[in-house]
Amino acid sequence: MPLGAGAVGTPVSALRRGQVAHTAENPIEDLKAQIATEPLALVALFVSAEADFDKTIAEAQEQFAGTDVVACTTAGEIGMSGYENGLIVGIGFPAAHFVSTSILIEDLKNESSQVLVDRIALSQVAMRDANPRMQQGFAFLVVDGLSLREDTLTAAIAPALRDLPLFGGSAGDGTTFERTLVSLNGRVRNDAAVLTLVLTDYRTRVFSIDHLVPTDAQMVVTEADPARRIVKSINAEPAAREYARIVGKDPEQLDQFTFASHPVVVRFGGTHHVRAIQQVNDNGELVFFSAIDEGMVLTVARPDNMAAHLERKLQDLGRGGRPADILGCDCILRRIEAEQTQLTHRISQILRDHRVTGFSTYGEQIGTLHVNHTMTGVAIYADEPED
Amino acid sequence: MSLINPSDTIERQNAKLLQIAQALMRKVEQKNDQSGISYAQFERAALLEVQVRERTIDLERTLDLLQESNAQLEAANRETATAQDNLSEAIETINEGFALFDKDDRLVLTNSRFCRYLRDVPDKLHEGMPFEDYVTAVSQSRYLALPHGVTPKSWSDIRYDRHREDYVVFNVSLSQDRWLQVSEHRTANGGTVILQTDVTEIIRLERQERDRMRDQQAQILQATLDHLDQGVCIFNHERNLVGWNKRMDRLLELPPQHSAKGLSFLALLDGLESELDFSVGFDAEMLRRWANQGAGRSPINFEVTRSGNRFLSVFGQEMPDRGFVISFTDVTAERESARALADMNERLERRVQYRTQELGIALSEARRANASKSRFVAAASHDLLQPLSAAKLFVSSLAEQLDGPDLRQIVDKAESALSSVEDIIEALLDISKLDANHAVFDVKPVRMSAILRPLRDELTPVALSKGLDLRIRDCPLTVHSDPGFLRRIVQNLVTNAIRYTDSGGVLVGVRRIGDRARVEVWDTGCGIAAADQEIVFQEFKRLGKTTSQAGLGLGLAIVERACKSLDHPLRLRSEPGKGSCFSFDVPIRQAHEVASKAAGRAAADGTAIKKGLVVLLVENDPQLANALIMMIESWEAHVIHAANGEDALQLLSDIQLTPDALVLDYQLGQGLSGIELLHRIRGDLGNVPVRLISADRGADLRQACNDAGITLLTKPIDREKLHRFLADVGR
Repeated sequence: MPLGAGAVGTPVSALRRGQVAHTAENPIEDLKAQIATEPLALVALFVSAEADFDKTIAEAQEQFAGTDVVACTTAGEIGMSGYENGLIVGIGFPAAHFVSTSILIEDLKNESSQVLVDRIALSQVAMRDANPRMQQGFAFLVVDGLSLREDTLTAAIAPALRDLPLFGGSAGDGTTFERTLVSLNGRVRNDAAVLTLVLTDYRTRVFSIDHLVPTDAQMVVTEADPARRIVKSINAEPAAREYARIVGKDPEQLDQFTFASHPVVVRFGGTHHVRAIQQVNDNGELVFFSAIDEGMVLTVARPDNMAAHLERKLQDLGRGGRPADILGCDCILRRIEAEQTQLTHRISQILRDHRVTGFSTYGEQIGTLHVNHTMTGVAIYADEPED
Repeated sequence: MSLINPSDTIERQNAKLLQIAQALMRKVEQKNDQSGISYAQFERAALLEVQVRERTIDLERTLDLLQESNAQLEAANRETATAQDNLSEAIETINEGFALFDKDDRLVLTNSRFCRYLRDVPDKLHEGMPFEDYVTAVSQSRYLALPHGVTPKSWSDIRYDRHREDYVVFNVSLSQDRWLQVSEHRTANGGTVILQTDVTEIIRLERQERDRMRDQQAQILQATLDHLDQGVCIFNHERNLVGWNKRMDRLLELPPQHSAKGLSFLALLDGLESELDFSVGFDAEMLRRWANQGAGRSPINFEVTRSGNRFLSVFGQEMPDRGFVISFTDVTAERESARALADMNERLERRVQYRTQELGIALSEARRANASKSRFVAAASHDLLQPLSAAKLFVSSLAEQLDGPDLRQIVDKAESALSSVEDIIEALLDISKLDANHAVFDVKPVRMSAILRPLRDELTPVALSKGLDLRIRDCPLTVHSDPGFLRRIVQNLVTNAIRYTDSGGVLVGVRRIGDRARVEVWDTGCGIAAADQEIVFQEFKRLGKTTSQAGLGLGLAIVERACKSLDHPLRLRSEPGKGSCFSFDVPIRQAHEVASKAAGRAAADGTAIKKGLVVLLVENDPQLANALIMMIESWEAHVIHAANGEDALQLLSDIQLTPDALVLDYQLGQGLSGIELLHRIRGDLGNVPVRLISADRGADLRQACNDAGITLLTKPIDREKLHRFLADVGR
């Protein structure tokens, strides 16, 4: 088995990982040199919003002809040294250990869920039948981060995957929230998603990390526009102002940092799910990253120490054998919170140490759910666990 | 922070709460329009997620358990497999063929040695095969050697029957003289283990050994037969000759061995019959019948004479195989020597008879002579005493008329001499009475002092006259004896002691030894040498004495005879030059015994003996007979007397009377003895009470009496014993 770059003292690499600045002259060519050291089943590209996505995809289609290339724009990259910006991160899945099938799901607003479910189910059965040796696997979703359809999409496709665990991330656009794109094999789309079914003979584990703790502070959405994920009023007051009052902030100075440090969650029984606030619009309303509704009770959550929490969770993943690689989808709000709490460097170090690559998202998918303010991903174990 | 902004007015707060409540109610009632679908889906998914997670946890736990139990199952399977491997290996290491059938009689496993020699069977064996099929397969095997007349079907039936028994071991014969020992063992759960052991070698060795033994035994047997001094021939159950010994050849002059074998017994007998002369009570026909008897012949024994000069003792016996064996013993020599012996015996008996007659005549002559001697002595003594008394009277009157001392001295000496003669004659009378066994003893309690005191008075002057010290110790004992003879014995012993003692003294004492009194007479005389101790008791024997002092030497002879007759054992101890001690033992009568006996006798004399009791007395001595008759009649009983056995029997048959008691003398002259007579009487009259009387005190007679269950009364007859006997009879 070929060794990954800088593999001395680290577990044998399962994925071929590469990164290149988007400003490079021939970034994809460089990238190819880094990752295409052996036949690959799949290439995933996480492309900085600063880069020319269409051009990049066109180059990739050329360079990785014959290999599925899945790509998306990002709100920041997780590269070889943790949180990065302005990069194109490329991940190759060696054909010796992985097989994959990717499905481009277009026109999310009008997609017939039944047709989609059938496609997914058939693809999975075909792939399983063709590769009986590959017992493990996962489904990796990249989806337009501004499509407003993630919740519906995951709820529709997860059942079709049966026992194949789903994780994914919403494509980002830095912090500008204007244009997010996904691409499969040269086709660049918005209002679309790419679902990639991966089977492997490695052991894998899909995970979700959430470091938020609900508090007593609660509020009720009294008026909303669920289709546009806009909460108009809370507690019968303009939403932004009432949110500011509840979290004790000046309504005029609400920004991403406020949202990152004062996230709101909805609670079901013993669990909670983050409904992250994207921004305040001109009408003093709150725009959310995920589905909302009138009558929804929002609970203000308090972030735990993110670095310590992340370290602990990643250690947990290494119990019974350290993962060779981790592919992660990390919420932009976590990166913002890290910056705000001066933990960026520490978090980057942890991500590097645990060989996490991936990108910063506008939302994360785990199982049937679309959530915010978490990190989801898959850990891939190259060695047999010592259990 | 509260839902309510405290800075609002109450009205505002109320209005806001109303709106909040409405929003919540709409949400709860799901009244939101289509635009809320996304959130609803999220909400449903989240709720499902919770459930799924819980289910997943449950499922994982279940899966863990499943895996665990799978692992355990696998381990168990592995163990089972290992155990099975071990078992297979184990049974493969067994030298025997091994098969296991389960409780339903189905084959579980076998090892490679199982049915190895039944080469067409192993291919048919398979797991689950019923036991019955296995037996059938074996029974039909070409390699199974079925016993003669046994079909595979009957063999398998027998085999299957055996299987039902608890413990099964049997041998199976295979082709090419191979043998298997098959054993079945029941397992704890009702299965069956079959072990097949190859015992071919053992059986072959056994057979060799047996053959060898048989040859050896046959040789030994033939040698033994040949060694016998008898002719032996053996016939089988078809009465054909199968074996005989060398002696037989000589006895019967059989044809040579090879041609004789198989000859029938009847043919042999036919050939020999003309030469044989059967002993009385047996003939050839009886022998034929015996031989022709198929079975159950009892042994026969007879004699034949062959050609008139050879005597053969024949013994026939049946053999276990229904044949028979006949042995011939040549007894010619025995018969001839027996005849010679018989002849000699006859001659000897004639001589004995002749001699016996001669001796009888001599004996009766001797008896006559002896009796006439006794009569002569008695008559002579008696006749002598009369003139002697007269002579003494004459001498006394002569002494009265003489004056001169010289003459008186002479007369005194004559008188003394006459007295001595008188003593001698009296002693001779005693001796003759004792010798003729005519003495009648009157045995009764006697106080020793009544004997000893008078003797002291009489003999002290005699001792003093010799300057001897005579001391007679008095004694309080009462003994059982004849007072007259007891006095005579002591007197003679003391007189003898005084006579043979020149200085010192004589001591008489009585000591008690158990139930006897020992009377001892010590002297300090010259003593008697051991060699002379026998002869001092003979008549007319005296040792180293001048006649002037001595008597006739009859004293000790009388002592010896009287003691013997009274059963008072006499002893002599003596040391020449120092002195002698004569002693004799007398039975003691205890004082109280005397009293009680006296009382008892008074009662017995008066009442105990039944009046008119009939007693048969057989006694050949007329005097004793007379004495006994007088005694018994004095007790008012009747006596029938006969002098010998023959007379007694004749008398009994004449009078046709059964006596109440018998008193028989043992020695009854030439005819029957007392014991023989008793047996005859008992034979006729049954068990009549009896006392046998005899002077013989020998152990032989006692034994004979004990054997016949008879009480012996020794002579002299104890009056009391006889009285007691008759009193018991009358009761």
